[in-house]
Amino acid sequence: MAKDKPTSQADKRRKDREEIQMRIEKFAHELIKEIDRNDNPHIDIPVRGSSNVAFDEKEKKIVLGSKVAKRFLFNVSHARRFMQTMLVASYVKKDLLDNNLTATLRDLYYAKKRTIAGTKEETIDEQKESDLAIVDFEVALDTFRERLHLRAEPKGRMAGTMTIRDFVKEKASVIKLDQLGSGGLAIPSIVEQIEFVDYDLEYVLVAEKNAIFDRLNEDEYWKRNKCLLMTTAGQAARGTRRLLQRLSTELKLPIYCLTDADPYGWYIYSTMKYGSMALAHESERLGSREMKFLGMSISDIEHYNLRNVTIRAKDVDIKRAQEMRNYDWFKAKPWQKEIDKFLDKKIKAEIQALSSKNLQYISSTYLPEKIKNQDFLP
Amino acid sequence: MTEKPKPIETGQTADSAKESSFDDTERVMAKDFKEYSVAEFFKKNRQMLGYSGKVRSLTTIVHEYVTNSIDSAEDANIPPEISVEVQQLNSHIKIITQDNGTGVPKSKIGQAFGKLLSGTKFSQRRQQRGQQGIGAAYATLFSQITTGKPTHIKTGIGNYKAFEADVAIDVKTNEPVITNGKEFSQNFRGVRIAAEFAEVTYNRSEYGVYEYLRRTALANPHVQLSLIEPTKEIVVFPRAITQIPPKPKPTLPHPLGLTTSDIMDMAAISKARKISSFLVTEFSRVSNDKVKELDALVNAKLNPKENTEPPHNFVDFNRSPGSLKWHEAERIVQAIQTVKWISPETSTLIPIGELQLEKSLKNLLKPEALKVVARRPRVFRGGIPFLVEAGIAYGGNAGAVKGNQPGGELLRFSNRVPLLFDAGSCAISEAAKTIDWARYDLKDWEEKPVTIFVNFVSVYVPYTGAGKLAISAEEEIVTEIRAALMECARDISHYLHSMQRIEDQERRRQLFFRYIGEVAQALGELTGKEQSVLKNKLQKIAEVRTAMEEKADKVEDAEEELEQMEKAASKELEEESK
Repeated sequence: MAKDKPTSQADKRRKDREEIQMRIEKFAHELIKEIDRNDNPHIDIPVRGSSNVAFDEKEKKIVLGSKVAKRFLFNVSHARRFMQTMLVASYVKKDLLDNNLTATLRDLYYAKKRTIAGTKEETIDEQKESDLAIVDFEVALDTFRERLHLRAEPKGRMAGTMTIRDFVKEKASVIKLDQLGSGGLAIPSIVEQIEFVDYDLEYVLVAEKNAIFDRLNEDEYWKRNKCLLMTTAGQAARGTRRLLQRLSTELKLPIYCLTDADPYGWYIYSTMKYGSMALAHESERLGSREMKFLGMSISDIEHYNLRNVTIRAKDVDIKRAQEMRNYDWFKAKPWQKEIDKFLDKKIKAEIQALSSKNLQYISSTYLPEKIKNQDFLP
Repeated sequence: MTEKPKPIETGQTADSAKESSFDDTERVMAKDFKEYSVAEFFKKNRQMLGYSGKVRSLTTIVHEYVTNSIDSAEDANIPPEISVEVQQLNSHIKIITQDNGTGVPKSKIGQAFGKLLSGTKFSQRRQQRGQQGIGAAYATLFSQITTGKPTHIKTGIGNYKAFEADVAIDVKTNEPVITNGKEFSQNFRGVRIAAEFAEVTYNRSEYGVYEYLRRTALANPHVQLSLIEPTKEIVVFPRAITQIPPKPKPTLPHPLGLTTSDIMDMAAISKARKISSFLVTEFSRVSNDKVKELDALVNAKLNPKENTEPPHNFVDFNRSPGSLKWHEAERIVQAIQTVKWISPETSTLIPIGELQLEKSLKNLLKPEALKVVARRPRVFRGGIPFLVEAGIAYGGNAGAVKGNQPGGELLRFSNRVPLLFDAGSCAISEAAKTIDWARYDLKDWEEKPVTIFVNFVSVYVPYTGAGKLAISAEEEIVTEIRAALMECARDISHYLHSMQRIEDQERRRQLFFRYIGEVAQALGELTGKEQSVLKNKLQKIAEVRTAMEEKADKVEDAEEELEQMEKAASKELEEESK
């Protein structure tokens, strides 16, 4: 049985690869057909960004709207991006999928960056351009970059009483997440292949900051509280978000989120829970809608008497809060109240502010108390 | 004058009828001249004649000489050819001009160059190029008072006899003093003047001699001008046409634009017996039928019934014009406005002509784009006919170079005479100022290679001052100049648009073709199709798409939207990847 699993995994992944290869071929042949008809070749690209996203109240996720734009090769404002999208398509198909290799966004950037023959123009100036072309290609194929064998920079770590099986190509390794010392396991950017072998967990605690992960790891918080401890190290990477969703849906583990008490921290939480506007097409597989916000809130500042360790909010924070106040996914009453409090008091606080009580206050008092009382925001 | 005067002896064999008619006119004018002892007066008030400022004084001198020369050659029906030499002599400047005109008979030299005259030209309704008729003689005086030297004149009428002499003016009596006169045998025709001046400066500024001659050449395409500068550099402004403009004729006022006071003034001195004949004989375009029309209009609401006494306010057109009352004249003026008139007689106005002006501007400016407009005649004030000719030239040698930057220029002319000074108060400047140039893609034309040319043509030019530097900004005139300039500007705007289109097309073309190689390669890699075949097919499509209007690109509004969304999305992406 232990032998079967990798084989079926490999099968599944081969099939998946073939599926994407087929889609790319179809995509290319559509363009050939247009060219043979002497039409202006174009790609249909669902519009992304805040103007074409909606909040699906029932499914609790940010979803892409129905607006589809056409990107033409022979159009002054589209030509370059069209060409870049074609470079992405060719690289993904020929270099990655056909060889069963994965690459980073930066790999692709360097592989396709060159001077266009007969000109002084580069195919791609900055990586930002190819990154955007990649997203175009993802949405055009109605898929996501992991299936195109493109990796984001891995970010985030985890530790806990859990055993997983991971694969490098067809080679499996079994990893015990309680044996990884102070660093924990770096969460890979592609997590589809990870299997949860064994675990003794009651919930997942995901912190926005490395420093909190280190603090709680040192305090053996995860061991004493039967939790899987995670850090996103800022805005959560796709791998981390996907893994959180799998832990939530496959293992039915509650997920608690811990960020600074400021709009930026709250937005990180919302991204993990509902998805983001820029990647609205992937909310389905990246959002963890059961996630709960543990802290910190402005109410926490009052409740835990942290007033004297707060920081004055900056203008950008206030602007962000005003925007967020209007997002559908922040319309829940408790959140509106928090945002209003923030806008009223114009103060914010870091999680580390809890250290003003004592270093272990967070692991010995704050977290246990919050969890015990189920003192969460939706 | 019953006796036809004998023609002055002339070596010319050309059109003698024309010449004699000129002579005739001259005789008449000579009779009209009144002599003033004005030499002393003008010696003290030289700024009145344009002698203020060192650059301007020199331009004025050259203007007087050149104007006389052009008139003289035109009168002889010869295409004028004039050379101007400017020599720098220590602190003095020597001007030598020579023309190919009729020459001045020996007996008239003193009158022409040694006596300040004030003629009746002011009051005559005839289009004039020359100024007060003081011009050349005042230059003699100016030379005399700044250097103490006489003006050297050489002249001949082409009969193998030439004459030269030094001319000065007796300031006290305003009588010519002719010395060193000598006659010799040479088949010379024309006038050569050599005079020395102090308190003058030569430069190429927009007020200088160079610019004056260039503009004179532009407005007089039948004139060939050459200039030898103090540096010995020779500049030739070649003629564009050989056809000489017709001579102006005196004219009667046109009824349109007449004021009540004009009618009253003219009626008071009219020799006509009836108001009706007064109107027919003393105005142009007024026929008996038109008088009947006026009569009907003036007396229309009076409802005269048969066999009843005429109402007290009935205007009897059979009365003598001297008995015309102000309120009656007022009603005639009102009636005039509603009658349809034949335009003022254009033959009284001597424009450059649309075709001629176009040739001229092409000849000297060699522009990329040019539009010339000659408007129909109009009247201003008391029925004074005028017309406006305008042109806008773009690119080529058009415009004035300011430093190393191209710059625009507004060239003002009145009856072909360049107006170099006092631009601010001029009707032409006013018209140019009030045009919304942005509408014609000529915003900031002052910084573009643009020449704006306006010639105001009229028998009577309403100058703002005695210096004759600017045309009074009267409403009818400004409106007409604006209309002319806007007509030109529309055309230039089309040109600029089409140039822009060509540029855009080229940009599109380059952009479309630039990525074909990359796209063909990628598509070849994806489908296994031959790259060169794909490339050829794409190039064909690109060719077709290039030819399309740019707006074809904007097939869907969603495109604009997409772009904005994309910007937002990339910002969000950036934020998320922090």
